Formats: sequence, structure tokens, C-alpha cells
Amino acid sequence: MTRKIFRSMAAVSLAVLAASLVLIVGVLHGYFQNQVLEELRQKTTYAALGVEQAGMDYLTGDLPRSSRVTWVAADGTVLFDNWEDPAAMANHADRAEIREALLTGKGSSARYSDTLAEKTLYYALRLSDGSVLRVSDTQDTVWLLVLEAVQPVAFVLLAALVLALWLSGRVARQLVAPINAMDLEDPEGEPPYEELAPLLGRIRSQNRQIRRQMQDLRRRQEEFGAITENMSEGLLVIDRETRVLSYNTAALRLLRGAKPQAGESAYALNREMGFRRCVEGALSGQRTEQLLERDGSCRQVIASPVQQDGAVGGAVLVVLDVTEKEQREQLRREFTANVSHELKTPLTSILGTAEILENGLVQPVDIPHFAGNIHREAQRLIGLVNDIIKLSRLDEGDSGGQWETVELHALAENVLAQLGQAAETKQVTLRLEGGKALARGVPQILEEILYNLCDNAVAYNRPGGSVTVTVEESEQGARVAVADTGVGIPPEARERVFERFYRLDKSHSGTGTGLGLSIVKHGAAYLGAKLSLESQVGVGSTFTVEFPKV
Amino acid sequence: MRNKFDEQLEKLHVELIQMGAACEDAISAAAEALLKGDTALADAAEEAEKDIDQREREVENLCLKLLLQQQPVARDLREISAALKMISDLERIGDQAADIAELTRYIHLTDGLSRLHIGEMARAVIAMVTDSVDSFVKGDLALARAVRAADDQVDALFEQVKRELIDLIAADAAAGEVGLDILMVAKYLERIGDHATNVAEWVEYSLTGVHPSDD
Repeated sequence: MTRKIFRSMAAVSLAVLAASLVLIVGVLHGYFQNQVLEELRQKTTYAALGVEQAGMDYLTGDLPRSSRVTWVAADGTVLFDNWEDPAAMANHADRAEIREALLTGKGSSARYSDTLAEKTLYYALRLSDGSVLRVSDTQDTVWLLVLEAVQPVAFVLLAALVLALWLSGRVARQLVAPINAMDLEDPEGEPPYEELAPLLGRIRSQNRQIRRQMQDLRRRQEEFGAITENMSEGLLVIDRETRVLSYNTAALRLLRGAKPQAGESAYALNREMGFRRCVEGALSGQRTEQLLERDGSCRQVIASPVQQDGAVGGAVLVVLDVTEKEQREQLRREFTANVSHELKTPLTSILGTAEILENGLVQPVDIPHFAGNIHREAQRLIGLVNDIIKLSRLDEGDSGGQWETVELHALAENVLAQLGQAAETKQVTLRLEGGKALARGVPQILEEILYNLCDNAVAYNRPGGSVTVTVEESEQGARVAVADTGVGIPPEARERVFERFYRLDKSHSGTGTGLGLSIVKHGAAYLGAKLSLESQVGVGSTFTVEFPKV
Repeated sequence: MRNKFDEQLEKLHVELIQMGAACEDAISAAAEALLKGDTALADAAEEAEKDIDQREREVENLCLKLLLQQQPVARDLREISAALKMISDLERIGDQAADIAELTRYIHLTDGLSRLHIGEMARAVIAMVTDSVDSFVKGDLALARAVRAADDQVDALFEQVKRELIDLIAADAAAGEVGLDILMVAKYLERIGDHATNVAEWVEYSLTGVHPSDD
């Protein structure tokens, strides 16, 4: 803009300069010509007076030769000329100034010489005798005048030019300076030029609009950030060059990466093989899933490509912590394997015995023994299946029984009575202490809990040992403790005894199904009771079940 | 122009991370193959080695292109020249991991052999490779220096494994063949440790402008 203004101003000043030069020269030239003409008229008048009085003598006298003087007779014949020989000169009657003088008494004209460099001015007067006296003078033409003055003129032009350029530059800068000084980010206040007011108004309104849109965007971004931050799943968005566009802290935690810098590659976060496969897969347009396992934790990465204009523009990665899921899956697989094994053992025994009986290889005397075998194994099988059914019902949260208020002392008495025979065989003394206590629950489950605890207490006891069941009621609620004097449970196994099919006795030689304590644990959880275990190896264990207050 | 250069530098960075990760895969698979006797893992290590060779050529091309077309100076130049040196070390790590994987096909760690410190040595070397790649990824000078310190530990473990093997062969001459194989594995591991140290040194050079060996 400054340049444009400068150029225009410089052009204008140059044009003005040139125009004024032409005008001045023209006016001056006209003025000079008039001066010369006037001088010529006076000279002619003087000369005419002289000729009137002295005749030819005046002319032949010491007339200055600076001006040309010609005397022409009334018929046009040249009588005298102070520059040339009159006899050689042609008749002058046809000359404009002479013709005019002959008619009106005086005449003048101007003629350019051949070279055009000079202009000759003529003035003629008619004398009293009818002849004409003419005086002429030469004058330089305009061009010559200009040419002669070219040096000073050029100097003046140059000075004017420099001055014009300097001033134009200065003025242009001064004009533009306030425009440059305007703050377009915040164009408040009066504009420096009122012509700019609409432009500024427009900028102001657009600024407001941009600010609003930015705020909107930021708010949306914050909302998105807040939502993803609260996700427990990791979320990672990357572009085609694997640069991280967006992430949440869960992603950093699950991928064990440090906070990425702007434009950093996702590989800087994590470069486990599974992760890289996911990124590569998604960026080649394939939805990819991989498990990352490291240091006992298991994470699942699901990568989906993001399509943009028909090409893959990036990928969205979701990272899930599947450690627990994998552990549960592991437990389920173990349970299935264990169940099959546990079911197979009695069946194999039954099958073998039945085959022997079928082939008639048994003496009739031994038949009851073999039949007893089949009976015992079948019973064990039924017990196992029943236990599994109970457990799966507890798992499903469907016990099939009604909730009632149960008196625990009487229940314990009943349970101990059922175990009397077994205790006698193992030479274990059964004791019941405490008094009446009420608890709410499903009677079948309560009995199952007590039965399994007491059954274990007898089974894992030493000959001559004892099982003491204590039933109490306190402010907090009813409490049943089953203490034995058995083998005890080592500390590392205290969690595991409640697992399905876990046995302290690895030989599986016991009569139990390995599900008893598992049923106790799930039953107690179903009834909202608290189960605890204290044990000392070689001394005995105490299982305590605390029921909520009725 | 600058923008394109930055983009290419970033691409170089990502390529190097991928190559480093492939090295980690190779050495981890080789070590697992050794300790668990799983030949499928040995195949995986050899596969990873091919991937590493391929990547080395790609990174090399990228580096040369950058040097010729962009004529980088100062830090950028250091980074690219360090990258050129690093890839040859990473490529050697891949080769040696593949060599170990090949050897594991003939080694079955019996109870007597598993008492050797070869497992610890493998774990220490894997940690070194991981740390050297990590120090590059994060530009972590302290970690790069820690890798150099860890190399002494690996060298000490190598000496220990060597002594244990001498005792083993002295006690049971029949264990000689497998003992020598294990010695080779230990030597390869020790070499991988040295290469990881080199990588860490080049990381240090690209960060500080001074190669540790100049001190």
C-alpha cells in the first residue's frame, strides 16, 4: 500500500513538474516575443523619423548593423538594405508585413528561417512618401530557449524530483502508519480513517464468531476429554503416520507409556509385538485384536481403522484390562478339567467291577463285596453331582428354598447327630457349646454350611481329637465357630482351601468331593454371612461364620 | 522444505523404534526358546531377524536420502549419523538372536543345566536391549548411561557361566557337547550386550554431541 501511494504521488508530482515547465516556457516565450516586437516597433519608428528627415543619408550613415533595415519603394522595389545588396533582392511587395503596411500604414509578421532554429520578426511602417521602411530582428525559438536553459532546468528538475520522491515516501508512510498500527485481533475504538470503519466492523464481528466457535470446540473437546478420562478402558486415536492424536490416562496406564509429546508416535508409548501388530493391522484397513501379556497382567487391544475419503486416515485403539477375565477363564477351564476327572474316577471303578461281575469271574461269596464297591462309588458320584448342582445354584443365586428365621443351636445339634457315626469311627469327640441364637437364611443352605464344616472337622482330625461347635448370639448377630484339633492348614493354602476341588491331601484319597468348603464359602456369601479361618499347623483350625443381626 | 525434513526425521525415529522393538522380539523369543525348549519360538526369532534385515535397509535408505537431499547440520546431522551407526548394531543383535535360536534346537536344559546362570544372563541382556531402545525412544540420557553400567554385570555373568561350565564338564565329560553349545549361547549373549551398549553410546552421542569413547 505504501508503495502504491508512493508511486502515485511520485507520478503526480512528476507530471505536475513537467506540465508547469511546459506552461512556463510557453508563457515566457510569448512574453519575450511581445517585448522584441515592441522594441522592433520603436526602432522602426525612430528609423522612419530619420528617413523622413534625412532620406537615404540617414540609412547609409552609421546605422547599427544589429538589426536589419530595409527600405522598400511603394511598388515593392528594394531601395536599401543594410545587410544585403538591394539590387540583388527581389520585389518585396508580396511580403506580408509590407503589404499590410502599404494598406494600413504599419504591418508586422514573423517567419521561421530554414533551420527553424531562429525566428525572424518583421515590423514595417509606411512613410509619408508611400515607401515602406522595414526593420527585422531575429529571436531564438522556444526549443533553442529550452536547449540553452537545459542545464539549470535539469538541475532544478533533479532537485524537485528528489524532493518529490522524499516527500512522497514520507507522506505515504505517514498515511499507512495508523493502518499498520491497528490491532486487528481487537479492533476496538475509532478507526484512523473513516473509510475503514465497515472493514473493521466486519473484522470485529468475524473475530467474535471465531471466538465463539473456538469456545464451542474447546468445550466439546473438554467434554470428550472428561468422558474418556473416566473410562477404565484405554482409548488411543492415531493418524496414518502412527502419531498420537488423542489418548486418555487409562491408555497410558494400560500400555505403560509415558505421556506422549505432541506429534509423537504411538510406538513411543508401547512397542510390544501385539501392540505393533494392532497398529499395523488397523492402518492397513483391518480390524485387529491382540492380547498383550506381561508380568502377569493381560491386556486386550482392539484396533479399528478410521476410513477417510475411501482411504485409511488413522486408527482407534481400545485397550482393556482383561487380567481378571483371563483368570476367571483359567478357573473355569480348571473346573471343567477337574469335574471331568472327579466324575471319571468313580465311574471307572464302577465299570471295572461291573465287568468282572458280568464275566462271572467272581465267587458268589464275594459278590456282596463287589456290589458294595459299586454302591459306594455310585453314592460318591451322586454326592459329587449333588454338590456341583448346589454350587451352580449358589453361583446362579437361586437356592430353591425359602428364607426363614432359624435357631442355630438346634440345627447344630441335628448336624452333629448325623455325624455321630463317622466321629465314632475316627474316634473323635463331638461337643456343642453356647446357647440359642437366631439367624435368617435358607434352612437347607444353613445346614449345608454347618454340615460341611463339621464333616471336614471330623475328616481331617486325628484319632482321639475333638470337634467343638460354639453357637453364640451377640449384639452384632449370631456366630457359629467350628474348632477342630486336626492337621491344620498351612498359611499359603488358607486362600486356596475354598477353591473348587482343592485338597490339602493331594493324593485325592479322601472320601470328600473337594467341593465342601467351596459350598461353605458360596453359601455364606449368599446368606450375607462373614466367613473367617484361623489355623495352626499340627494344632487345629477354627472356621467362624458370623451372621447379620436378625 | 523444513516441514518435509521434520516429517522425514520423525519417520526415521518411528522406523528406528520399530527396528528396536523387532530386536527385542528376536532376543526375547530366542531366550524363551532356550529356557522353555520351544522350537516354535526359535522359528519366531529367525523370522524376526529377517524383518530386522529388511528394516535395516529401509532405515539406511532413509538416512542417505536425508543426508543427500536435506544436508542437515548440527543436532539433526548427529541424529542421522547416530541412526546409521545404530542400525548396524541392531542388525547384529538380530543376527546373534537368530544364532542363539538356531543353537537352542540342540540344547535341552536338564535339571543339571538349568542351575547355570544362563537364564539370568539372558534376562539381563534382554533388559539391556530394552533399556537401550527405551533410552532412544524417550531421549533419556540417564538410561543410556545405565545401559553401559549394566554391561559390566553381563560380562561378570558370562565369566560365571564359563566357570560353571568348566565345573560341569569336569564332573561329567558326557555333558561336553551341550556345554560347548551353552558356552556359544553365552558368548552370543555377551556380544548382544556389547551391541546394546554401542546403541546406548550412539544415543548419548546424538543427545550430547560427545561420544562416550572420546572421554
